[in-house]
Amino acid sequence: MEYVNPLTGFRIDGRRPNELRQIKGELGVVANADGSALFEMGNTRVIVAVYGPREVQNKSQQNNNQALVRCEYSMANFSTGDRTRRQKGDRRSTEISLVIRQTMEASILTHLMPRSQIDIFVQVLQADGGTRSACINAATLALADAGIPMRDIVTSCTAGYLCSTPLLDLNYVEDSAGGPDVTVGILSKMDKVTLLQMDAKLPMDIFENVMQLAIEGCKAIANYIREVLLENTKQLESRRGG
Amino acid sequence: MATTARGGGEREPAAGSGGGGGAAAEMEVEAYRRLFPVAYFERHLRESVRLDARPLASPRDTSVALGLVGSADGSALVKFGDTTMVAAIKLEVMTPPAESSDEGSVAVDFYMPPICSPTVRPGRSAEVAPVISKQLSDVIMSSGMINLKDLCLINGKASWIAYLDIYCLNADGSLFDAALVSAVAAFTHCIDDGRVVTVPGELEGKTKLPLVNKDKRKLMLNNVPFSLTCGLHKEHILVDPTAEEESIIETFVTVVLDTLGRVVSVYKPGGSVLAYTSILKECITLAKRRAQQLRNILNESVSAMEVDKSS
Repeated sequence: MEYVNPLTGFRIDGRRPNELRQIKGELGVVANADGSALFEMGNTRVIVAVYGPREVQNKSQQNNNQALVRCEYSMANFSTGDRTRRQKGDRRSTEISLVIRQTMEASILTHLMPRSQIDIFVQVLQADGGTRSACINAATLALADAGIPMRDIVTSCTAGYLCSTPLLDLNYVEDSAGGPDVTVGILSKMDKVTLLQMDAKLPMDIFENVMQLAIEGCKAIANYIREVLLENTKQLESRRGG
Repeated sequence: MATTARGGGEREPAAGSGGGGGAAAEMEVEAYRRLFPVAYFERHLRESVRLDARPLASPRDTSVALGLVGSADGSALVKFGDTTMVAAIKLEVMTPPAESSDEGSVAVDFYMPPICSPTVRPGRSAEVAPVISKQLSDVIMSSGMINLKDLCLINGKASWIAYLDIYCLNADGSLFDAALVSAVAAFTHCIDDGRVVTVPGELEGKTKLPLVNKDKRKLMLNNVPFSLTCGLHKEHILVDPTAEEESIIETFVTVVLDTLGRVVSVYKPGGSVLAYTSILKECITLAKRRAQQLRNILNESVSAMEVDKSS
């Protein structure tokens, strides 16, 4: 299948190889939560709600030096093309929950909130490739909305390699093509990589190009997230009458 | 809980003296609200208002948006104030069982993921979720909203099964009402896209239905049910309670009516307030009014969608 048109260079959804899908972020979508955000990357739509810092529910896990971070990832039954009844504790959900938790934990200043717990709940409403990345981006926005102190903005993006071209931000069709899929999560200002996952095989020099492309994508998303947060702060300020 | 800003952020009347001096009096209000919730609530009822300044018989602002989930065959987002529900329908083909070979089927599932409320713990779903799931399933089937025979494709060989999944994204009271409206709205929007069905054993392997109806076909709904939950506290009837009110009130009555104003279901699961016939009649009248309101809102959003499609 022609993932990149040899004549025009366009991908199947009309994007160029180094073009991100349309992204959109919105804060404060769940009124009950301490912080929440909706993040869309193309057709992938994810809601994250953050509860915390609050009292640890399981006292045996309480840590006297830092906050406990928990994450739960779940996909709605209608989120993918086929309706599948997903069990709560299935392997993929557990793995992604772990990945998101560890990625966010690298950025949250947990030592400022000892003996407490921060819950990050992720709900995927529509899945079209890049769900992991959309979840991390949404989690960053939700944590900011909850006022939880973080070292830096964490953003994530995927990149792949099909038809001898590095492609940025794969959608579901490109992801299922069987080519390599590199997911990168970075702390944008500090320029540090906190998450790096890859499936399939790539020669070393091509891997470097693909990873660099993904990092560029992350930085672009970080700029957008910064704008969203600034806009939100301005609105809060004007509501407060400042 | 909302924090008070000095410039009139809170809308409730202050307890005791009428909104006294600045920060000190307002701190007392918040503390009073947490420490003595029932007294705070009853103080409002005496003035015939509720905690969010609504009159007793007034429901919250309701909005319905259709077609939100692109990957589903029908979907709707419903908001009752802060309570948010997303419903989506996916149609799949199944072989009907022998005893109902000319009927399709509807499977209803209601989920309360941990994002919806601080009281829902991960790993353990909310207590009310399966209760509401069963209530919804019963009401949808018994109201006859969908004629299962409409869902049949080939008698005995293939029929539609409609999987309806409802997710609560924010739980702020009246969960059953919001879920029912979202289910009804999703069915209104549900479009059968005329899939071609191959039946094993037949030479042609194509059904007549999709070939004849090339255009997308909507499900025919009759007798659409609408519900209203009222809380009973002492002698007051409160329409469309929020989560805070639900934690104080112990008795609820849910009335479900259909398009012709007939009572589909009445549900009063215990509670300390005993309801005389007069109170139940009052609830039914309030439910009639609400059903009309919901019907208008639903029709508006359906016609808004149709305008979007044609333009």
